[in-house]
Amino acid sequence: MEEQHYQSIIEEIWPKLRRKHLYPEIPMPKVKGIPDPEQGEGEEGEGVGLEMKQKQMTINGAFVSQMKDKMPEKRVIEALLDHGITHYTFCPWDFHTHLRLYAEAKKVVGDKELAKQMSNYFIDVIADTHCVRKRFTEIPELHRNLKKGTIEEVIAFLYQKIWGIDLGIPPSKMSVKGHADIVRRLARIPYLDRSRWGESIRKFARSLKPLLVEEQKQQGSKGGKGEHNPQGEDYLNHYSNEEIDQGLRDYARQTMVLSEFKDVVEDFSDELKGAGYGMEGGMGRGQGSPIDADILFYMKLAENYSIPIKKVPLEEKGSLHPHSHSPWEIGSPFQDVDIWTSFGKIMPGITQIWTKREGKGRGKMEGTPDCLIAIDSSGSMINPRKSLSYAVLGAACATNAYLQNGSKVAIYNFSDAPMGGKDILNYTDQREDIYRVLCKYFGGGTALDLEDLIPLTQGKKNLDLFIITDMKITNLEALIGFFGQIQNRVTAVHIGDNPYAARFEKAVEKRKNISIYTVKRKEDIPHLVLGRIRDYFNPTHIKKS
Amino acid sequence: MMKSPTPPKKSSILPPDKESWITKNPFEEFKTFAAPTPDLPLDQIVQSTEAVMDRIRRGYEKLLEEEAKELVWMVQYNTIIKAYEVAEKYVREVDYTAEDIEDFCFALENTQRIPYLIPGPAGVYISALCNYAMEEEIVLKLSELKTEINLIGFRLSKGKRLMIEGDTGDFTGIGLEGGELVIEGNSKNWTGAGMRGGKILIKKNIGLHTGEWMMGGEIYVGGRVRGLGNIVEGKVYERDKLVYPGKVRYPNLYY
Repeated sequence: MEEQHYQSIIEEIWPKLRRKHLYPEIPMPKVKGIPDPEQGEGEEGEGVGLEMKQKQMTINGAFVSQMKDKMPEKRVIEALLDHGITHYTFCPWDFHTHLRLYAEAKKVVGDKELAKQMSNYFIDVIADTHCVRKRFTEIPELHRNLKKGTIEEVIAFLYQKIWGIDLGIPPSKMSVKGHADIVRRLARIPYLDRSRWGESIRKFARSLKPLLVEEQKQQGSKGGKGEHNPQGEDYLNHYSNEEIDQGLRDYARQTMVLSEFKDVVEDFSDELKGAGYGMEGGMGRGQGSPIDADILFYMKLAENYSIPIKKVPLEEKGSLHPHSHSPWEIGSPFQDVDIWTSFGKIMPGITQIWTKREGKGRGKMEGTPDCLIAIDSSGSMINPRKSLSYAVLGAACATNAYLQNGSKVAIYNFSDAPMGGKDILNYTDQREDIYRVLCKYFGGGTALDLEDLIPLTQGKKNLDLFIITDMKITNLEALIGFFGQIQNRVTAVHIGDNPYAARFEKAVEKRKNISIYTVKRKEDIPHLVLGRIRDYFNPTHIKKS
Repeated sequence: MMKSPTPPKKSSILPPDKESWITKNPFEEFKTFAAPTPDLPLDQIVQSTEAVMDRIRRGYEKLLEEEAKELVWMVQYNTIIKAYEVAEKYVREVDYTAEDIEDFCFALENTQRIPYLIPGPAGVYISALCNYAMEEEIVLKLSELKTEINLIGFRLSKGKRLMIEGDTGDFTGIGLEGGELVIEGNSKNWTGAGMRGGKILIKKNIGLHTGEWMMGGEIYVGGRVRGLGNIVEGKVYERDKLVYPGKVRYPNLYY
């Protein structure tokens, strides 16, 4: 009964709230059922007033019932919804901002759980302050009536100071244990300046850390989880899978530091799994399949680049194509009728149908061939699981380009191949498998085993080859010889200037199907590969410019 | 030819009931809802904090202009004294709190705000800020600071207590004049050199030349003392054990 009543309140105030927040794209909030105490339900999550999952806000009826003695239900609901909407419209706004704030908080507090709590508190302060500043809201009244722990009291006192509204916390209460000092520090933070949120959360965390550490200790000794946040918890649930995807992509691009990305992803791995987030093949889905943060990093980083590939003429695609006309007869399929030569009529003797044959001949049909990527993971290359490897990033960009064009990719990851330092992945379109092999690092010497490459190239008339190495290959002559025999398009990227690279370059300079790119600075690889591959695959693009 | 003052009204080709289509502002509804944007005390606090920070920053820049020409600054007795006098001059003009000093320390690492961090002059300037602060007890939470600031606590006067959360660089607490300096982390070489009185508490380890030409006061080290300097007068304790005056009289002795 009460549930319906609350729902009707929401329906009544929702148009006003939407207008107040400038019409956010958020569905009508719902009410969560009030548990029946006689049946032993309840307690769990009663302290949480608002839940948000994939943009669906849900008001906890039990919480509103608890609060109704202190303030009218309508005002409680309005305050909770004001707070919830502001998370979508101002702070944190998106998953990337959330991750960034979390990462900054973790730098100060050093602990995963503390950092999560800290970023949630910070986000709440910003959201509430934004509401109070910009909109007429019941949030101050809600704070006045909420049950408060030590940290909530300190934050309420902060609100008193920065909003100039009495929330019922006497200053004398703050003089103990240096809480007034903490509030004085917190009050100096420019919460509403989005451009300074990074430094602001560090300062926020520095000031609030002793209180949070103390509370964590107390909870640890009590063996409990502590008080619930009445304005909602577990903020990762706010985001849809697409938003999480985009957030990770942006975060990878912004940090460009593998260790930072890895830290954050590993810290959020449970939540990411809970949100059903994963990649094809199941990484991150289900129990016991841990998220490989390294692979995810290269995957997300590579998604920020796009390499256009010029399609090449392919022979004998195996599909049927219209070849010549023949008269239509009753019973022949209508779908093959050529309406132009039949004058729009279905009549024996006049109507003509297309006779189809398997496509042959060059120039008409274009497609993207499969690609064999050879990547050097010897000791002279960067370990992609330790720091950002531009070789892996370059190969990842190329992989994406081929997969996006419907082609398959094979990987030959080698160091000292004849001695077993190699991993071979046959042609596949499974991105996760490809990345897993790309990210493997063997170290040690560098030698190719051509016996491994031949089976991968045999029987494939149209095949592109892509090799990334520093060219310090012991049997470089054998590689040169191999490239001399094949007619496939080869893109060779080598890192740095060295005599081996010069020798390779000189040896294949007359081969028109081989393009060599020198990278003097490793950092240039992704950019150079992108640009030069475009030159190579799409010469018309250059002519235009 | 003169223009007519009131141009003839164009006759509408739209039916009268649809004339409103062209006159109605599609955002009209937003106009009616002009949400109040009250000035919060936060705005004022942030604004005044920024203003104070600007003045502190300008003082530091002037100190660099006068004392660290071509960005070179040699740590010598004369240069320290002279830099401190210049710092005092600018610091006296600013009304600030201990939190402003802490903010300044972090701003020093933000190259977008302050062009150069030269650890010597920066330390002298921060010391002057601490010595002229209104508060008797100052706590600086600097554990996230990447740079260890030198010369912090220089000439800390009697009645003042300066507590640093984090590590400090060389020449910490030199010339201490009766104040109490507490370092929650480690401290480097020449700590307490030339101090005349007061107390230095280092919670962790300390470097070489500790208490060089120290004239009085006490140094307490919670961890290890890497080496003592030539001490004239005063006491040095290592993990509650008196190491000077005591058996160890040789400078820079490894324990």
